[in-house]
Amino acid sequence: MLSILLENKNGFEALLMGNDAISRGALEAGVNVVTGYPGTPSSEIVEQLAKVAGERNLYVEWSVNEKVALEVAAAGSYANLKSMCVMKQVGVNVAADSLLHIAEYGTRGALVLVSCEDPGALSSTNEGDSRPYAKMMEFPLLEPGDFQEAKDMAKWAFELSSDIRNIVMLRSVTRLSHASGNVVMGELPKDIPEAIFEFSGTPMDQMKGPVLAFPTLVDPLRRRQLEKLSKAVAAFEESVFNTYVGPQKPELLIITSSVCQLYAREALTILDLWDRVGLLKLGTTWPLPPRLLEQHLSACEKIFIVEEGTPFLEDNIKVLAAEKAKQVGIKIFFGRKDGTLPPVNELNPDLLIKGINNIMGTSFQPVSDDYSEKAAEITAAVALNRELTFCPGCPHRASFWLIHTVLKLDNRAGFLCGDIGCYGLGAGPCGFSTIKILQAMGSGIGMASGFGKLDMFGMSQPVMAVCGDSTFFHAVMPALVNAVHNQSDMILVVLDNSGTAMTGFQPHPGSPASATGSKLPILDIEKLCCAMDIRVEVSDPFDLKATRQILLDLLEDGGNPRVLILKQPCALSPIRKGRKMYEMAIDANRCLLDHCGCNRLCTRVFKCPGLIWDTQKNKIQIDEVLCAGCGVCANICPTGAITAERDR
Amino acid sequence: MDLDDKNQQGQKGINTKVIKQGLCTGCCACVNLCPSMEYYKDKTTLVHDCNLDKGRCYTYCPRTPTNLEALRHELFNSRDIIWEIGPFKGLYMTRATDENIRAGAQHGGTVTALIQLALAEGIIDEAILADQNDQLLPIAQTIADKDAVFDKAGSKFVVSPTMSAFNRISQADAGKIGVVATPCQALALAKMKVNFVPEDKMRMEKLKLVLGLFCGWALDWRKLQKLLKEMLGDLQIKGIDIPPSKYACIEVYTTDRTMKIPIDKVNTCVRDNCNYCFDMTCEFADISVGAARSPEGWDVDKGWNQVIVRTALGEQLLALAREKGVLEFKAVPDKNIEKLKTASAGKKRTCLMNLSEKTGSLDDLIYIDPEDPVVRYIRGMKLG
Amino acid sequence: MENTLRCDPYNLIISGVGGQGNVLASRVIGDMMIYQGYKVTIGETFGASQRGGSVMSHLRISNRGGFSPQMPKGTAHMVVALEPMEAIRVLAAYGNPEVHVLCNTRPIQSVGVICGEQIYPEKKQIVQWFESLSEDAKFFDTTKEALNLGNPVFGNIMAVGALSSTGDLPMSLKVFEQVILKKIPADKVAINLKAYKIGKNLISDK
Repeated sequence: MLSILLENKNGFEALLMGNDAISRGALEAGVNVVTGYPGTPSSEIVEQLAKVAGERNLYVEWSVNEKVALEVAAAGSYANLKSMCVMKQVGVNVAADSLLHIAEYGTRGALVLVSCEDPGALSSTNEGDSRPYAKMMEFPLLEPGDFQEAKDMAKWAFELSSDIRNIVMLRSVTRLSHASGNVVMGELPKDIPEAIFEFSGTPMDQMKGPVLAFPTLVDPLRRRQLEKLSKAVAAFEESVFNTYVGPQKPELLIITSSVCQLYAREALTILDLWDRVGLLKLGTTWPLPPRLLEQHLSACEKIFIVEEGTPFLEDNIKVLAAEKAKQVGIKIFFGRKDGTLPPVNELNPDLLIKGINNIMGTSFQPVSDDYSEKAAEITAAVALNRELTFCPGCPHRASFWLIHTVLKLDNRAGFLCGDIGCYGLGAGPCGFSTIKILQAMGSGIGMASGFGKLDMFGMSQPVMAVCGDSTFFHAVMPALVNAVHNQSDMILVVLDNSGTAMTGFQPHPGSPASATGSKLPILDIEKLCCAMDIRVEVSDPFDLKATRQILLDLLEDGGNPRVLILKQPCALSPIRKGRKMYEMAIDANRCLLDHCGCNRLCTRVFKCPGLIWDTQKNKIQIDEVLCAGCGVCANICPTGAITAERDR
Repeated sequence: MDLDDKNQQGQKGINTKVIKQGLCTGCCACVNLCPSMEYYKDKTTLVHDCNLDKGRCYTYCPRTPTNLEALRHELFNSRDIIWEIGPFKGLYMTRATDENIRAGAQHGGTVTALIQLALAEGIIDEAILADQNDQLLPIAQTIADKDAVFDKAGSKFVVSPTMSAFNRISQADAGKIGVVATPCQALALAKMKVNFVPEDKMRMEKLKLVLGLFCGWALDWRKLQKLLKEMLGDLQIKGIDIPPSKYACIEVYTTDRTMKIPIDKVNTCVRDNCNYCFDMTCEFADISVGAARSPEGWDVDKGWNQVIVRTALGEQLLALAREKGVLEFKAVPDKNIEKLKTASAGKKRTCLMNLSEKTGSLDDLIYIDPEDPVVRYIRGMKLG
Repeated sequence: MENTLRCDPYNLIISGVGGQGNVLASRVIGDMMIYQGYKVTIGETFGASQRGGSVMSHLRISNRGGFSPQMPKGTAHMVVALEPMEAIRVLAAYGNPEVHVLCNTRPIQSVGVICGEQIYPEKKQIVQWFESLSEDAKFFDTTKEALNLGNPVFGNIMAVGALSSTGDLPMSLKVFEQVILKKIPADKVAINLKAYKIGKNLISDK
C-alpha cells in the first residue's frame, strides 16, 4: 500500500485527515528534517512522514522531548535545510526557552513549528493555547480553517519562513487535525539540498555568521526580528488565507479563525443570514494585518469574535480597533469575554447558532420540544457514560492494584504522584484512585522529590511517584537527578510498557528502533537509574506476589530515593496484541459472587473489561472477545474460581 | 451511636464505627474472611472497599456493638460471673514443672505447658499462638506438634494476627483448634461462637479451647521500632520484658547485654485503641493466664502465673495438668483476688471514661451497651 | 455527476466503542464518496477513547464543501451504530423524528455496568427507545457474523455493507473494492469484501 502522502498526480483529490494534510503540505514545500514528541492530536504528522521518509529523503525523529525536538529541527534550519517540528500545545511550553532564542535570532532554511491544540481537552489535561507565544516571542502565526488550507498553509508556512527568515508557527486543533475532508494535492518537489552550517561571517550575518545570543547582540537582533515581523504583516495584508464572505455593509461582522470558521459558516447557513452577516476568516492571526481589519471594522458596528482557547484574537482586535478608533469608529464587541460564547471549552455549530441568535434576535429549533423531551427522558433514565478504563490485559491495572494495596497496607497515608499518559487513569476508578496529584509530564516525580524533603516539618507520609517509560526520558530524568542529589525520601515507579502507548507506540530512547524503523541502541532505564547510585528494583507487575513484596520492602526502606521498574509490554503493543498468555475460565462452583467473603472483587473492584458480571444469570464470565489473557484476575480471586491455563 | 444501623453492618460500619473511631485492635477477626481486609505490621487495613450492608467482619469484630451479657450467658454459667473479672471457677498460682519451659517463658510458662498438654492429650489438634520475627513483629503460628510449642513461649508486646490464622485454618481442613488469645481476640472468638453466620457453623465447631492472656495494653509496632532505634541504634534485639512498676522501665535484651528504657518513653508507644478496652483478664476464655502479682510484692511470686479458670473445660484441663504433673501449684494469697478485681475494675472504668469522652455522652459507649450490668456495676462502684 | 444523495448534506453518524473499528468504517465511506466526486467532511471524536470510551464519527456528505466536522444537534439523517447504547446516546443528541438507524445488537458493557454501578438496559427497552427516537430502526448482529469470519472487528465493514443496502448513498460493491484496495493490506482485501457482502445482505434479508 502506497501512502496517500506520496500521491504524485498534481490536482489529485483525496480524503485527508487534517494532520495528513499538514504532512502533505510539508512534503510539497520540500521539508527535509521532521522532529516531534508524540501527543494527541499531533502525533500522526510525524508518524505519517516517518513512513515516507525513505521515498522523500527525510530525516524524521521522535525526539526525547519538545525542546530537544525544536533544537534538532533548528539545527536543520541552520544547516540550510527545511525543517518542521511538531508537538501538542503543552509541548510548546517545554520548547519555549529555545523557541524564544530561535525567534530572536531567526532561521536560515525554513523552520515551521506545528502546534496541534486541544480546545475542550478531548485528550489533554488542559486547554492550553499557544497562540500567545507568537505575540510574546514575536514570530508569525498561521491558523488553517479547513483541510485544504491545512495542506496549503503548511506549504506556505515554509515559504513565509524562507522569505522572512524566521520561525513560523502553524496552529491546528483537534477538530481539524483529527477530522478529514477533501484535499486537492499539489506537486512534490524534486531537489535535495546540501546541509552545511556556515560560521565564517560576523554574528549579525544571519546566513553565514555564528548563531549567538549575547547580551550585546540582543538590541540589534531584536530590531532585526521586528523587521521580519513587519515583512510578515505585509504578506498577511495580501494573503489568500484571509477571506471575507457577506454583504458590503453587514449588520454583524464575525471575525474568526481555524476550524471555528466552519462552525460559523454552518450557523449562518442554517439561520439563513448570509445576506445580513459578514464572515471574516483570518488565516494569519499574528501579527494581525491592520489594513485588512481596518477595512472590515469600518463596515460594521457589531463585531462577533469567534475563537477557541484564550481571547487571543479578541484582545488583539480590540487593541487594533482602539489604535484605529478614528478611522473605524466605536465598536460593540461580542465573544467569549461578554458571554456570547462560553468562556471555556471547545465550540461547535450549536453554540454559534445560539450566540448569533442572541445578537441578531433570530431563532432556530432543530427538533420539536416533544422530541427533545423524549430524548432528555431517555438520557435521564440511563447512565450512558462510558468511563475511561485501562484496556483488558493492561499492565497498569496490575501496577495500580499493587501500589494501591501496598499504600493501604502501609497505613501511613502514603500517596502517589502521577503523570501524563495512559497511566494518568490511575487517578480514576480503573486505577483504584491511587494517583493523588496529576498535572504535567514529569511533574509527579518533581513533586515527589519535594514532598520527600518535608520531614523537617513533620511530614511522615510515604511518597511515591509513577511515570511511563517515554516520560522517563522526556522529563523525569532531571527530576530524578534532583531527588537523588537532594536525597529526597521517595519511591519512583517506572511503568515500563515498552513504548509511548497512549499516542500509538512511537519509539523513544528506550526503544530499539527509530521513528523510521531503523535499528538503534536501547537506553536501559535500569542502568541509567543504577548509575545514580540508588536502590533500583525491577519486577513484572503481573507477578503480583513478588512485586507486592518488593513494594512493601521499598516502603520500609525509607530515607532516600528508590526506583522500581515495572516491566510488562502494553496489551496493545505489537508483541502482545492478539496473543493470550493464558486461557481464562470461571469455575462457577467456587465463585462466591457478591456474597460476604468476596463480593465480586474481580468485577466490582478490579474491573477488567475482560470480565462480565451477568446480573440476569447471576454469573461472572470471561468476555472471550475482550479478554487479553494476562492471567492477573486469577491471582486476585480469593477462592480460585478464576483459572488461568497457559495458552498453547 | 445507632446500634442497629441496618446499612452499616458491613465494612462501612467497621470503617466508621471502629477504624475511624480509633478502636481497631488489629485482632484480625475480619482478616482472611474476604480479600478486602488485610493485616500488615500490627494493623488491620481496609484494602478494598466493600459495599455489602452486612458482613462477617462487622459481626465478629470485638469493637462493633456487642451484647456482652448475652455472650456471658451463652458461654458461661451465670452463677460464675464476678463483675470485675468475669466468669470465675477459681484462681490458681501455677508454673510449668519443666524448667526448660520456665527458662524460655516470661513468667511461669503455664501457657506453654497447658498448650503442650492439650495437644498431647488430643483435646486439640492444632494450636494457634503468637511468635515474633527479629523485628519484634508478631506472627501467628499454627502448631500441631507439642514439642514445637516450646520456642514460641514468651510475652509479645505487639498484637499478633492470631485471628487471621484462626480464620484461615478453620476454613481449611483443620481438626480441633485451640487458640491462645488476647482479650480482644477472645471476645471476637466468643462473638463467632455465638453469632456465627450459617456458613461458619462448621468451622466454629472446630474451636475447642481458648486460652486467654491477661492484657493491659499492646504497643504500636512502628512507634516501638522508632523508640528502639532512637535508644539503641541498630542493635539486634532478642527480647523485651517489663519488670515491676517500681523499676519504671522496660528491659531490652540484645545479643550481649540488657538495656533499660524508661517506662514513660514506652508509654508513648501504647496503642490508643487499648485505652478503650473493657477487659484485662481475658474474660471470654476457658482459662486466663497472667503474671502473678502478690500483695507482698513482685519478687515473691516472680516466675509464677496467676490462672483464672472460667469454664468446665478449663477446670478439666487444669485438673489434668495437676494430675500429669505438668504444672506446679502454689497457694494463692487471700488478697490476690481483691487485687486482681481492683486492677481489672480500674481498666474497665478507664475504658468507660474514655469512650464517654470520645462520644461526649455517657449513654453512647460506641461498642459497649451502657445498660450492660457490668457497666452499671462499675459505674456504681465507689472509688478508693 | 448524478445527485444520488437522499439529502444534501447527508449527515451520517457512525458510533461505537473504542476498538470496534469505527474510524476505518467512516474513512472507507468517506473515500467511497470522494471517489465519486462528492465533498466530505468527517469529524471524529476519539483520542483517549481507545480505552473503552465512546467513539463517534460525523460524516457530512455533499455536492458542496465547507461543512463543520461536528454536525449541529438534531440534524442526523442516519445513525450507524456498532453498539446499541452508543446509538441511543447519539440519537438523544443528534436524532430527530426523521432519522434512520442501523444498529448492531451486541452490547459492550461499560465499566460501570461491569462493576455493578450501572445497569445495562434490557433489549426490549432499547428497542422501544429506538422506536420513539427514530423513523426507522433496523438491527443486525454483526458481532456474531464477524466472529464467524474469525474476528469481531469485521463488524465495522459489515455495517458499511449494511448501509450500502439502504440506497441512501451511492455505494456500489465496485467502488468499495476500489477504495479498500488502497486502504488495507492486499491479503486482507478478500475477507473485507466478504464482510461487506455479508453486511449488505444482513439488511436486505429482512
